[in-house]
Amino acid sequence: MISFFRKLWWLTQRRAREDELCEELQFHLEEEAEERTEEGLSKEEALRSARFELGNPAIVEENTRAVWGWILLEQLIQDLRYALRTMLRNRVFTALALLSLALGIGANTAIYSFMDAILLRSLPVSDPESLVVLNWHSKDPRGPRPNHVMHSMDGSDWVEGDGLSSGIFPFGVFELLRENNAVFSNLFAYYHSDKRNLTIKGEAEIAAGEYVSGEYFTGLAVPPAAGRLIIADDDRAGAPPVVVISAGLADRRFSGAANAVGQSVLIDNIVFTVIGVTPPEFFGVDPAESPDFYLPMHANLLLDRTVPWAVKPETYLERNHYWIQMMGRLRPGVTRAQAQAALAPAFQQWVAATASNPRELESLPALRVEEGAGGLGTLRRRYSKPLYLLLVMVGLILAIACANIANLLLSRAAARQREIAVRLSIGADRLRVLRQLLTESVCLAFLGGVLGVVLAFWGVNFLTVLLANGHEGFTLHAGLNWHVLIATFVLSVFCGAVFGLAPALQSTRAEVMSALKGGRAAERGWQSKLAFRRLSLSHVLVVSQIVISLLMVVAAGLFVRTLSHLQSIQLGFNRENVLLFELNARQAGHHDPEILAFYEELRKQFASIPGIRSATLSHASLLGAGRGVEILVSGKSAAPETRILHTGPRFFSTMQIPMLVGREIDERDTPDSTGVVVANERFVKVHFGTEDPLGRHITRGGPHPREMEIIGVASDAHYGRLKDATRPVLYIPYNQDQQRVQQMVYALRTTGDPLNYVPTVREIVHRADSRIPLVDIRTQAAEIDRTMNQEIVFARLCTGFAMLALVIAGIGLYGTTAYGVARRTAEIGIRMALGAQRGVVMRMILGQVLLFAALGIAIGLPAALGASRLVQSFLFGVKTDDPLTLGSAVGILFGAVMLAGYVPARRASRIDPIHALRED
Amino acid sequence: MPKSEPPTRLELLQGTLEVLILRTLLREAKHGHAIAKHIQRTSEDLLQVETGSLYPALHRLEAKGWIAASWELSDKGKRARYYRLTPRGRKQLVAEQSKWEAFSRAMGLILRPADQEGQ
Repeated sequence: MISFFRKLWWLTQRRAREDELCEELQFHLEEEAEERTEEGLSKEEALRSARFELGNPAIVEENTRAVWGWILLEQLIQDLRYALRTMLRNRVFTALALLSLALGIGANTAIYSFMDAILLRSLPVSDPESLVVLNWHSKDPRGPRPNHVMHSMDGSDWVEGDGLSSGIFPFGVFELLRENNAVFSNLFAYYHSDKRNLTIKGEAEIAAGEYVSGEYFTGLAVPPAAGRLIIADDDRAGAPPVVVISAGLADRRFSGAANAVGQSVLIDNIVFTVIGVTPPEFFGVDPAESPDFYLPMHANLLLDRTVPWAVKPETYLERNHYWIQMMGRLRPGVTRAQAQAALAPAFQQWVAATASNPRELESLPALRVEEGAGGLGTLRRRYSKPLYLLLVMVGLILAIACANIANLLLSRAAARQREIAVRLSIGADRLRVLRQLLTESVCLAFLGGVLGVVLAFWGVNFLTVLLANGHEGFTLHAGLNWHVLIATFVLSVFCGAVFGLAPALQSTRAEVMSALKGGRAAERGWQSKLAFRRLSLSHVLVVSQIVISLLMVVAAGLFVRTLSHLQSIQLGFNRENVLLFELNARQAGHHDPEILAFYEELRKQFASIPGIRSATLSHASLLGAGRGVEILVSGKSAAPETRILHTGPRFFSTMQIPMLVGREIDERDTPDSTGVVVANERFVKVHFGTEDPLGRHITRGGPHPREMEIIGVASDAHYGRLKDATRPVLYIPYNQDQQRVQQMVYALRTTGDPLNYVPTVREIVHRADSRIPLVDIRTQAAEIDRTMNQEIVFARLCTGFAMLALVIAGIGLYGTTAYGVARRTAEIGIRMALGAQRGVVMRMILGQVLLFAALGIAIGLPAALGASRLVQSFLFGVKTDDPLTLGSAVGILFGAVMLAGYVPARRASRIDPIHALRED
Repeated sequence: MPKSEPPTRLELLQGTLEVLILRTLLREAKHGHAIAKHIQRTSEDLLQVETGSLYPALHRLEAKGWIAASWELSDKGKRARYYRLTPRGRKQLVAEQSKWEAFSRAMGLILRPADQEGQ
């Protein structure tokens, strides 16, 4: 403790202490010299031998100072001050270095923030590490469904390895595993409910809900923000209808959690009592969703009676119907592997008993106990591939930036060779010089990192906007958090160490004598010895920068071409001036058959708005649709890829899909009139060839078959996802089908900006039934853009990245060339004195730059061809070896290289021989 | 040259310099040069104190609080930095001295058993 204060005191007294030490050593020298004079030496000789005996006074001082205080800290402060001074003295160098590093680090931090939010973050519940998700994996996904015990599945599945994976199970499996409490301290089930009509105090909105079993909240160990959460007693058939709402909904609609408890709300027109509110940070178990409310699972018996896939008490007993998802909390000390080993056989036995034939036995699903700390993997599966791709790209940018810095430092190290030689020769410790050079580069990297965080902050906001791109309720909110800051810091310091070390090592390896001999001649002398190694290193860096830039430009080209291909897809309808919106009258309490009249009456009202040219409705928008039912043509099943769209009157005239023959569906087609259908060109070609299809009858299968007469043929319009090929499509009047009508998407053909009509539309719907909220209002053009979201993001980001890479590489090339010209001033001067023309000098410099470019492209093109296979799955309509893309990439690169080389080349050609030669 | 070279000079063992300095300062305060000379003379020129390690050692001892320093005039009237033993240094010297005596006795016992056997 005392020594701490003494050191502190000494630190403040440093200057005086150093003077004292100097005086003390001086006294020692004089004493020694005097003594030797007494021994008979001459004065000079005595002084000389005394000095010799003392050794290097600077080192003695240094060693003595070392015992005073925190020598390391002191030296660090010294080094930092020196580093900052050097950086300020070379403003251009510092600006270039900081800019390229900040861009590299900023881009990396922004992307890493998203990776962190999506791939790495844990659920905001206590002890997330002990949570596990239950999934199954089955070997043979492609065969027809009867090959599986999963006769019907309601939920998401994904292809994994050689088979199919999913997290949905029959309810019986939940009951089976819940019994096994040797493994789990808690097992809970849940499934995602559809969007619901939620009416609070007479005001309706569409909200997302989650069905949860009674163990859900205790299993996740979530405390209520107010009231109580759902318990086992709430989750049984016939229990009073209760609901738990999210903190966000409580704030929005009840102005606070405390006010919400005990209130009544209407969910799909059924009264539920709010019993509690979840904490603000809680978003359920899937980071891709954020439910507004949580219902006891058995409330689905109340709510889902009317939908076509109605949940009945039998549904809970169905052993081949897969629909609920499960998570568990492991008992302390139980590992995932142990849990899987304990539960898999029980599951195996259970599903084996549900197989109805030997083929089903061959491909039974196998239970997997997977990590649950991060919640469900929906987002991870959706975004991890694109994010890893982006991370590779920004990683490459950082590599270019680092190569740049290394190159700049390398050039500068050569320039500082003399300074370092002087320092070494007057006794500086090599390690000390190295440390100082390292301090400089780490300092640079650190500043770059700080700037990078600022850029990243801006980049994250930009990326969020880019990724959300019109998605309502985009749940992904990445922020710069501690992880990200630490990752950036480590990254920048690591960069500093990497690019600081190589030049630092080289600098201190200088041969002191030759470097000291002075003048540029001497510098060239040692350089000619080291030239090969040094120059080749910096050349390798420049060429690799060109290679990486080429990769980025090619990637950008491929994504831009993909986007333009998508944008030029023939839609078969007119995308401009169409307003789309969705509403669901059934959830607001409308019933058959009145609901059909209600929908039609609304359509008529919309059509009569001044400025609306026509109005129609369909069960989904053309791009959002994907409904298939069994269709029989002349008693045989129609092509399996056949899709149907339930439409209202005037669909074809509103969407401007040309009718080839016959008439479109219109007001004449009522529930009671003859069943009619409009087929698209493709359907006719597949099923009737050249025969006249008008008047032919086809049958919609299912439990209530219905005969339909073909009244018209429409030209092919795009149906489903943008990348899907044209399919056979049937357009069936929505009021003539047995399927219960649910939500409807209205399409209005407008004059002028479709969004101008939104207030009028809202008013009409509100007047017709105030309980019905309007959802997902968008223009047709915006909907199309939304489906290309990922491609748009990739094209924009990659173009940005490629430009960034070109700029950074350009800076590097410029710096290296300019430095090379500066070094060769004398040589160029001699050449010009001997009669070389300006043009020749310029060609000489540019020739070297072009050589780099050619070399870079020679290496880069095969690399780009190889690497572009990795992005193949992101491409559409363009091959990885697209000649146009490759050609323009090469052209752009040559242009950038010429630009970077031109300025220094011009300067070289302006060198005045007299000045150049006089300098030496 | 009148001065004859000492037969062989001994390398100082690690940590011995500090004890030697403390012992040298036991009777009176001395400046650095005098300390070096005193050690050299007293050891019959067997021990040569390197200036390069003398001053760091002095400052180290000062930092530990075993010796204290002050600027005074030397015999010849020049300003010199004089070091003297503090009470803590005296205590330290006693401890170090007994440690060294024990150590040299142990070394002697091991290195000289042949003589004893011969007797």
